[in-house]
Amino acid sequence: MNDYEKYLASTHRLGRIFTTAVLILLLAAPFVIGGYLGAMPNLPAAMKAFLGVGLVYLISGIVEYLIYVPMLGAGGSYLAFITGNLINMKIPCAINARDIVGVKSGTPENEIIATLSIATSSLVTILVLAAGVILMIPLQPVLQSPTLQPAFENVVPALFGAMACKYYRMNRPVALVTLAFMTLLFILVPGLIGSTSMMVIPSGALAIGLAFLLFRRQKKGGVQ
Amino acid sequence: MNLLSQLNSPFLYLVCGGIIVFVAVICLVFAVRAYKAGKALGIDVGKMKRVITASATFAVLPSVGILLGVIALSGSLGTPWPWLRLSVIGALHYETQVAEAAAEAVGVGGLSIAGMTPEAFVTIALLMSFCIMWGMVLVIFHGKAYTRRLNSAPAPKKDAKKKKLDLSGFGDVAMTAMFIGLVSAYIGSYIGTIKAEGNWLPLAVAAISAVVMYLCLLFKEKKHADWIDSFSVAGSMLIAMTCAVFLGQLM
Repeated sequence: MNDYEKYLASTHRLGRIFTTAVLILLLAAPFVIGGYLGAMPNLPAAMKAFLGVGLVYLISGIVEYLIYVPMLGAGGSYLAFITGNLINMKIPCAINARDIVGVKSGTPENEIIATLSIATSSLVTILVLAAGVILMIPLQPVLQSPTLQPAFENVVPALFGAMACKYYRMNRPVALVTLAFMTLLFILVPGLIGSTSMMVIPSGALAIGLAFLLFRRQKKGGVQ
Repeated sequence: MNLLSQLNSPFLYLVCGGIIVFVAVICLVFAVRAYKAGKALGIDVGKMKRVITASATFAVLPSVGILLGVIALSGSLGTPWPWLRLSVIGALHYETQVAEAAAEAVGVGGLSIAGMTPEAFVTIALLMSFCIMWGMVLVIFHGKAYTRRLNSAPAPKKDAKKKKLDLSGFGDVAMTAMFIGLVSAYIGSYIGTIKAEGNWLPLAVAAISAVVMYLCLLFKEKKHADWIDSFSVAGSMLIAMTCAVFLGQLM
């Protein structure tokens, strides 16, 4: 076993221990707080709500796991699933970092870069939130000002606009067809707008399928 | 002491802050290990430092957005619990939806401090933890096997007669395509939103951000200014979000 394999093995060991510990703490916290407040969770009500919205997140969680682990590597995956905010921060951040240093997915370099990127962004979020919570009382009127709300309600569109420019340039035919298809779908079935995160699955599948067809054509063209 | 005061009590800050500190320690441990392993692998230290700088810069703006999520939820759930949820595992759109559904299920109508009871609060808190734990569960039980399977690509068969398609290099193409798919779903939804709700602001913000990003990429290519990579995404977002304030007044 070489040094990198040893690193990966210990990453998995530590990752499992830490993730299990965080999971236990998160599930135990409501009961600890309940002890302080003198009330315990209403489990039948929790089950009812879980059947309403929780199942969606179960499926979404499985899909996110299958899609994002290949991008993030071992260390990055443990950290990203512990710290959350995957789609709006961790994934774009890791891919941005990967692009900056020009590493290929699935390589040891990608493993290191993704872990560094996600650990750093998570620490920044923790620090910003901690500072914000401390400053919250005097800043609350400014931050909750109706004038500023359009800015903060549009963090995600701002993020995806920038990322679209970056990635659409890399494969224009795939981008054009996928965007046209998804636009048509959302116009014809507006009810899907509320489930955009789930629509990433067909959109991603279409883009990968088209990319594969183009890739195959280019390879065959290269052989001839 | 009323319920909101109890939800903002030092005890809750201690419980939630303790978990957040633990997660921060985990991040530090992983970062230090990755940095050392990177050096051992011969990765350029300068590159790793650029990654750290770029990731820190990248994370500031979304973090401010997340902080606003804490503020938004603090009126009904107190400050410590949303602070924990959005520092660890959560995401604002998930947390808000689950909390709202849980509030309806426990019979307090909606996510508001007006009808909140201690039982309703702890039920909401439990459901917020339970609903969004699946990524963690999967990575604990299946992460090792999954990453190993991904890393052990099958050996290419060198059979010249069959002329099978050489898939080397498709991994990165697929990853780019996956991201194009992800972005297209959201941009498509913004276009759909115009027809469904008449709300053009998300698309306008995305377009402004894309234009600024394009200018950054152009500047990088023309002037060979690689440093701009560290700020281009965050800068594009900041400018687009600033424009959203002005555009929002037109709506």
